[in-house]
Amino acid sequence: MLELRHISKSYPTPQGPLCVLQGVDLRLAVGESLALMGESGSGKSTLLHLAAGLDTPDDGEVRLDGRPLSALDEPTRARLRRERLGLVFQQYHLVPSLNVADNLRLQARLAGREDAAWSRELLERLGLASMAGRYPEQLSGGQQQRLAIGRALATRPALLLADEPTGNLDETSADEVLTLLLELVGDSGCALLMVTHSPRVAAPLDRCLRLSHGRIAEASP
Amino acid sequence: MNAASQRTAFLALFSHYRRHPGQLAMLLVGLWVASALWSGVQAINASARDSYARAEALFSTGLDRIERRDGLPLTLDDYLSLRLAGAPVSPLVTGELELAGGSRLEVMGIDPLTLPEGSGFRTAGGTATLADFLQPPYRTRLAPDTLASLTEEDDTLPPLADGRQLPPLELAPELPPGVAVMDIAAALELLERDDLSRLLVAPEARLDLPQPLVRSAAENLAAPGQLTDSFHLNLTAMALLALVVGLLIVHAALSLTLEQRLGLMRTLRALGVSGRALVSLLLGELLMLGVLGAALGILSGVWLAQWLLPDVAASLQALYGERVGSELALPWHYWLGGLAVTLGGLLTAGLGTLWRAARLDVLGLGRAQAWRGQFLRQLRGMALAGGLLWLIAGGLLAWLERQPPAEGLTPGFVMIAAGLLGSALWLPPLLAMLLAALARLLRRRPLAQWALADLQLQLPRLSVAMMALLLALSANLGVGSMVGGFRLTFLEWLDQRLVADLYLRPPPARYEAAVDWLEARDEVATLLPRARAEATLLGSASSQRQPRPVNVYGVTPHPALTEHWPLLASQEDDASAWQAFARGAAMINEQLALATGLAPGQWLRLSSPTGPMELPIAAIYPDYGNPRGEVMLTAPHLSERFQTAPDSIGIVLDRQVAPGAIAALRRDLSQTLGIGGDSLIDQREIQRRSTEIFERTFAITRALNTLTLGVAGLALLSSLLAQTGQRRSQLAPLWALGVSRGPLVGASIAQLGGAALVTAALAVPLGLALTWCLVAVINVAAFGWRLPLHVFPGQIAATLGLAVGVALLAALLPAWRLWRTSPRTLLTEFDAL
Repeated sequence: MLELRHISKSYPTPQGPLCVLQGVDLRLAVGESLALMGESGSGKSTLLHLAAGLDTPDDGEVRLDGRPLSALDEPTRARLRRERLGLVFQQYHLVPSLNVADNLRLQARLAGREDAAWSRELLERLGLASMAGRYPEQLSGGQQQRLAIGRALATRPALLLADEPTGNLDETSADEVLTLLLELVGDSGCALLMVTHSPRVAAPLDRCLRLSHGRIAEASP
Repeated sequence: MNAASQRTAFLALFSHYRRHPGQLAMLLVGLWVASALWSGVQAINASARDSYARAEALFSTGLDRIERRDGLPLTLDDYLSLRLAGAPVSPLVTGELELAGGSRLEVMGIDPLTLPEGSGFRTAGGTATLADFLQPPYRTRLAPDTLASLTEEDDTLPPLADGRQLPPLELAPELPPGVAVMDIAAALELLERDDLSRLLVAPEARLDLPQPLVRSAAENLAAPGQLTDSFHLNLTAMALLALVVGLLIVHAALSLTLEQRLGLMRTLRALGVSGRALVSLLLGELLMLGVLGAALGILSGVWLAQWLLPDVAASLQALYGERVGSELALPWHYWLGGLAVTLGGLLTAGLGTLWRAARLDVLGLGRAQAWRGQFLRQLRGMALAGGLLWLIAGGLLAWLERQPPAEGLTPGFVMIAAGLLGSALWLPPLLAMLLAALARLLRRRPLAQWALADLQLQLPRLSVAMMALLLALSANLGVGSMVGGFRLTFLEWLDQRLVADLYLRPPPARYEAAVDWLEARDEVATLLPRARAEATLLGSASSQRQPRPVNVYGVTPHPALTEHWPLLASQEDDASAWQAFARGAAMINEQLALATGLAPGQWLRLSSPTGPMELPIAAIYPDYGNPRGEVMLTAPHLSERFQTAPDSIGIVLDRQVAPGAIAALRRDLSQTLGIGGDSLIDQREIQRRSTEIFERTFAITRALNTLTLGVAGLALLSSLLAQTGQRRSQLAPLWALGVSRGPLVGASIAQLGGAALVTAALAVPLGLALTWCLVAVINVAAFGWRLPLHVFPGQIAATLGLAVGVALLAALLPAWRLWRTSPRTLLTEFDAL
């Protein structure tokens, strides 16, 4: 499904290049879930951006469904993202001017694969059906994150990439959102790569990798 | 809070601009352009008023004029015979002298000894004694700015073009620009004349004048400046529009900086800065920026005025015969006024910001505002205020409809301002409604739906720039249509009125000989004699009216003339009106009809040397550019009742005439009858001169109009640039969801282009309404006559294109920046959220 081979990435800084990832290898099978842990600045988010085709590595190769992302031009990478990937961010990134229902369908519509019944089911299961006409600012943080998860899953992606999806929520809301996320991912059969710094959030996932100073430091199980 | 704490808090607040220099630039640019255009026009007005005040001091001291009816100069014998008969008249000679270097100087020769007491001519003097003024080598009195415009050296007058010298210089600051006053003997010698331009007499003096002479009462002579009021009001209105457009930019910038500094203000409040101190600091910041913007604006305004003043001066001289100095004369209150208007405007624009800062509590201060609810409230407020302004405009229009012509100019402009501002306030609610409807319609097209929803999100920040664009576009269209319509009507009317190819104004003694000679010429097809007289309108046959002086104009109702002469109203049809006219009925001009309410079918009573006469009114005709009421009769009818011979002849040439015939006619006329070439006027020459005057008159309007549109474009550009960072953070998530940069850039450009197109489409009816107000309300209030409404589809298309062009140009830079943004930068935006 997703394969990262010998990935290296550095960013220019006034003090010289800052190496964020060094020779990272990672494989994710269809339907598998993987937690990516590490301290702040360890390269977790950069790795997620590379996996989503939002950025390109300096060295190494990212393959999605066997296709090397670096060989694709930007419009093709964009098409791949909207059709095959779902993204969930810590800050939700909902469109404030669209209501709940339209936000949830946005990516599916952009990909031209809206499934009205699936969207309705997602709204029901995420507990948002009664607030379909509301706008993001009228929702709580937990509700906004549930909506972001719904938007990512509405396209029935092959891979869901989640960057600290519960990082902005209180413990109760975080548990609630995580349960829903894992349940929906399990039902849809997509793979999950989740960046988190919380062992509690990482625990239910199939595997866990720990990044330290740009390298894989530990893997479990 | 002590001074150090205040300084710290102020620096913290002001540090926002270090991170967002674009917003500071937008604020200063808004203040600068608003202040520059306003100050520039005020500088022109102040200089012109200074010139008028000086001219008024010289000319408007209530002296009646005595001139020849035929317009020829008076002879010294005319003057001496009046003096010998005991008439207290004083001679005046005026003429132009060419100086070495090519500049021209208007010379006025006066006789101080015979001038009535208190005359401005007499009191406008320098330091020399009366004896010095009256005796050789005489004195040349002129104002310092006149001297400065004639020579680069101080205190020395240049010689005349032929090498002769002017009398010694004597500075007289109270004299109007471009005028030199000297004893009449010196003036006659320099002008090489032996006749007089006119005689002056005190209004209370009773005289019996011989028939060739006519007396014009001082009260009927318009004071300098009086005629030009509407011209300056027009300029002021344009400057006010530019000021409003500039202040809209300021308002947009202030709202943006407040919104982005809410968090900072909350922090400052939490750290112990009181609400009152915070408002004081914001006020201090506003004042500091205001003084800087006003200084920049006033300096640019002075430069702008210096650039525009020669054209303004030329227009005023061509239109009204008023001389305006080509150097700026700025009183102290001009500088203070410019500063006060800029600061006043800034505080008005910033009042909302200060009020919001004062009202928000420490906990709520930094919380992100629920934009939707707030914006909806704002839209309702705008619609309400816009509706109120429309009511005011409607009320004023109803009131103006009941006013007599040539009155209500200022209320007319207030009505236009209220209408324009009301419409501008309605723009955001209309755009919001349109966007909501379109979003519903395009639900199945996600990128279009997002673009529309995103535009709704941008609307609070964009609406002010769009309002500025609407105002500038409608003003551009309205004023452009008015000027274009004026041009079309005026030139067409001139073409129709000047049906003869040539006009001859022979000396009275040679009039009959000229007619006989012309009738014998093969190339002459028709002669159209014309006559003029002055009379008093005593009223209509059915009612007494306040007597009013009118010009009486005599024409020959030949088909060559009547077939082209436009009529505004007649009792039956135009042909019947001309038949009635030929039988002895009168026609009146539009100005007289509007001022008196006289209409075709009614009768008017007119004074004449042969006693009061009653005439039926056959029709009303347009008479553009004439400020006075006029009655038209046939030339023979006029000559008989007013005992005056025709004074000029229109010559219609045969259609088959050779190209060189006019030159040959001119030459033969001079050789055979001794009538100088200057007496024969070519119609094309009149048209050329009229067009030249016309173009110069509206050059300023066009320049200000274009500058205002430029300001609106700048408002849009600066609004967009100030939001560029924020826009990237809104676009980044969509990019992450799989929309590549190309469609994103395309959507951004389409958003703005579409909004501009809608704004321009709304500006079209508004601009046409403005044109109607200008031609049917302002023109009547200013001049006493109205213009027909002309619509120019090409101009409308150009305005639409211009609006979209300005918007796309403004969108292009941010779009280019987005296109060039690397994924890394987009990710940075992304992570920063």
